[in-house]
Amino acid sequence: MNVEELVRETLRDQADGQPPAPPGLADRVLGAHRRRRNRRLASVAAATAAVVAIAVGVPLLDSATGTDARPSGALDSGGVRAHPDQSPPRDRIGAGDTVLAAYYTAELQQRTDERGVAARTYWLLDPRTGKYKKDARWSFVTVAPGLKTAAVLERNLPAHRIGLLDLATGEVERWIPVRHGVGGLAFSYDGTRLLATTYGENPDLRVKERLHDEDGRTTWMWGVRFGDSSRSGFYDLDVASGAGSWSPVAPDRDLNPRADFAYSRNARSVYAQYIGGRDGLQQFYDLEGHKTVPPADEKFLRSDVPARLSPSGRLAALGLTKEVAGNPGKSYSSVRDPRTGKEITKVRGGHLLAWADDKHLIAWERVTSLEEEYRPRLVLVTIGSDEVVPLSGVREPDKPGALRESWQPVFARR
Amino acid sequence: MDAEAQESFREFVAGRSSALLKTAVLLTGGDRHAAEDLLQNALVKAVGRWHRIDEPEAYVRQILYRQQISRWRLKWRRREVVVAEPPEGGQAPDTAGAAETRMVLRTALSRLTARQRTVLVLRYFEDLPEAEVARILGCSVGTVRSTTHRSLARLRELAPELAAVGPRPQRPSRDFSPVEVRS
Repeated sequence: MNVEELVRETLRDQADGQPPAPPGLADRVLGAHRRRRNRRLASVAAATAAVVAIAVGVPLLDSATGTDARPSGALDSGGVRAHPDQSPPRDRIGAGDTVLAAYYTAELQQRTDERGVAARTYWLLDPRTGKYKKDARWSFVTVAPGLKTAAVLERNLPAHRIGLLDLATGEVERWIPVRHGVGGLAFSYDGTRLLATTYGENPDLRVKERLHDEDGRTTWMWGVRFGDSSRSGFYDLDVASGAGSWSPVAPDRDLNPRADFAYSRNARSVYAQYIGGRDGLQQFYDLEGHKTVPPADEKFLRSDVPARLSPSGRLAALGLTKEVAGNPGKSYSSVRDPRTGKEITKVRGGHLLAWADDKHLIAWERVTSLEEEYRPRLVLVTIGSDEVVPLSGVREPDKPGALRESWQPVFARR
Repeated sequence: MDAEAQESFREFVAGRSSALLKTAVLLTGGDRHAAEDLLQNALVKAVGRWHRIDEPEAYVRQILYRQQISRWRLKWRRREVVVAEPPEGGQAPDTAGAAETRMVLRTALSRLTARQRTVLVLRYFEDLPEAEVARILGCSVGTVRSTTHRSLARLRELAPELAAVGPRPQRPSRDFSPVEVRS
């Protein structure tokens, strides 16, 4: 083989390994085109318009850098698929660009008298039937944008291979072997890279804790062993080729046993939750595993609010900020400017889970009064509106000391 | 842009964007983010004159190639390209030797100039004749020929491992043994 043939083969090999184009490309292009045209017309009033645009959560006219330019406003690209009578869900739930791609419950499996594992069981959205189907093979699942592929870990954690599951066929297309055991997975925003958090032991370990009641009786409860994580580092993997490298991360923070890493929006750094003086703290690391400062637009985010940055990157979803008594009570979360941390508005919802588009979010919101036990359902909320659209049925709370935890949603972009 | 044109544009993107993105990734030397930017910008340019385009794919491809080269001309800051290593203990999907050579070559390709890489992509990935490459890039056939020659020479410099690979065979060869050239 000569060099020309080798170049030809290498280029074809590299091209064949590419995942498909990201979803929503046509929308982004049409949006960018529209805005470029508008910018020419509106250049004089640009500064004024920009301020107003932030206030109502509309993406600004940007500098045409090729960033996500999806138009905001009408939530019509995916519509709303709601099943307010289903908890846990049976039929596809979604809004705009976001779909409930899976959900899981966790059940304690006792291993010894004092140790057990909160083992997850997943229900995955079957794209052909639009129904959630139990798939008990996996202990961890994350779904890539596009809803075609999921990354999965087998039953025993930490796992020594990562599966790339074809959601249409239910078959693992490819296994990626790893030397360091993996306990958690997360795709990059564009779905081209996969972050695998490595642990020395099962991150879902539970220990039996002795509780002393006031009257001196002793009771036991299964709980998380706080501050004792076996997390060792992460793999940053190229999904197409499975190639990547492992970076160790020194355990110098208080961590929950499961403290999975996730990519920053641009995937040039990763972050994970740590435990400190307030909730939702996050520590960033570069891709070599060294501590680093957060990206400018992610430093005010909270690790415990999964929605994070809006699709355009111009709004940040933050935590619960206000509750209004009533039956049911109303919760409001904060939406902020990601660069300054200043609140732009409040939006309905007690826990912001995912952006449906630049004006709508999917959230947990209570159906009970503030005095009653918290029982939430998935809802669609709109910036600038008090309206709440139920998406799922009401999730029943975990029973105290129960060995089974209620369903948790896993979202993915279409 | 009317609804019909938008629909036709959406259809085109749905059907061809993955193939176009493959080319864009090669043009950017494996930088997927830069490739998505490149493709999106090319599509934005195309959508503005969608009514007047007869062959959308050829048109978008031409924008991709030219845009990539003009980026280089403008000395846009080149993104750092991270070339991933296989995970420890991982099994290479291919036979070790061939996969390793491709990995080395991929790294070397990412270090070429945008113009050099574009010419190689057009010649060896798109399999276009020199005259067609010259037409697309708006240069002479001689320039295409000399750029191809210099790009391959540069690849050999960047990847000394390729020294083991023989020069262009003078006669059909069925095996990988060095080609004997009689003087």
